[in-house]
Amino acid sequence: MTLPENSAPNSFVLMELGERRFALPANIVTELAPPVRLHTFPHASPLVSGVIVRRSRIVPVYDASSVLTGRQASVHRFYLIARREFAKGSELSAIPVDGECELGTGTMQPPPAGKPSYVAGVLPLGEESLDVLNFEVLVTSQPVNAATHPNSQEAQP
Amino acid sequence: MRFATHDSPRPPQHGRHSEQVILFSIANQTFAVAAESVQEIRSTDSLAGAATEIEYQGVAKVRHMVERARRTYYVVNGCAHFRLPVSRPTLALILRDFRVAVLVDAIERMAEIPAVYPLPRAFAGEERAWYRGLTYIDDHVIPVIHPGGFLTRDELDRLDRAVRASQAHQMQGAIQA
Repeated sequence: MTLPENSAPNSFVLMELGERRFALPANIVTELAPPVRLHTFPHASPLVSGVIVRRSRIVPVYDASSVLTGRQASVHRFYLIARREFAKGSELSAIPVDGECELGTGTMQPPPAGKPSYVAGVLPLGEESLDVLNFEVLVTSQPVNAATHPNSQEAQP
Repeated sequence: MRFATHDSPRPPQHGRHSEQVILFSIANQTFAVAAESVQEIRSTDSLAGAATEIEYQGVAKVRHMVERARRTYYVVNGCAHFRLPVSRPTLALILRDFRVAVLVDAIERMAEIPAVYPLPRAFAGEERAWYRGLTYIDDHVIPVIHPGGFLTRDELDRLDRAVRASQAHQMQGAIQA
């Protein structure tokens, strides 16, 4: 899936992670890549799990699952590739997702109190309400232990 | 939707030139280092007699030093440096422009790489000092070592001070005896 460069401001890519769905603003998403090989090497960046090679570029992979669900990503997944902005320029970045993504439109509402800082807002879609992720904040968050993650069943009493 | 079955990175346009590298492994992880930055490769057995233990424990990855051609080289344990599982090093890469000998498990082979790709900015930790960038060989992305990244200026200074203090202490003991 390759997205058009100029997606409508109310367009969101809906993705599945663990047993939940999240939304990302479509204007930062470039494509959904197949489960290509993850290359790993020693490093000290907590949320980065390695790199993939996609369209002749080396793309870093962030393990967003460990923040969003408290669990590390499994091996055979798709990669959602989005553009991360830095002070000087931007960089393509990938997050593993559990399946095909879809495009949705709607108006983002402000996040309810108590939501983590990586939630930029919520997107009402029918009976469902999805957290819209702030990609920058998400990929600079600290991984969360599964046992203490609020979305984890292990955290339930 | 069609997916490509094979993809390889496009060499960067700036600073594009091939170079000869040595591929070596530490704890089953492959690294590349520019061949021109390695002065000598020695077996750990052959260096054992020339190695002196360092009592100073402030730089945990350095436990020994060796004298080569009137120069002191600090022996850096590659596993400790890259935080890899403990392995059994059999070789030491003695670097050319830095007073460092790196303990590694094995030399895999020499290779010519077409380019060194910049380390993505997502990597924001100590690895920015460890690596010059990444290379792509036989469908593998391999980090290219920055030879000056094994010891910081501060670590070198602390080791030098500790070694001088130890030598002065030994000399004083010898005079008193």
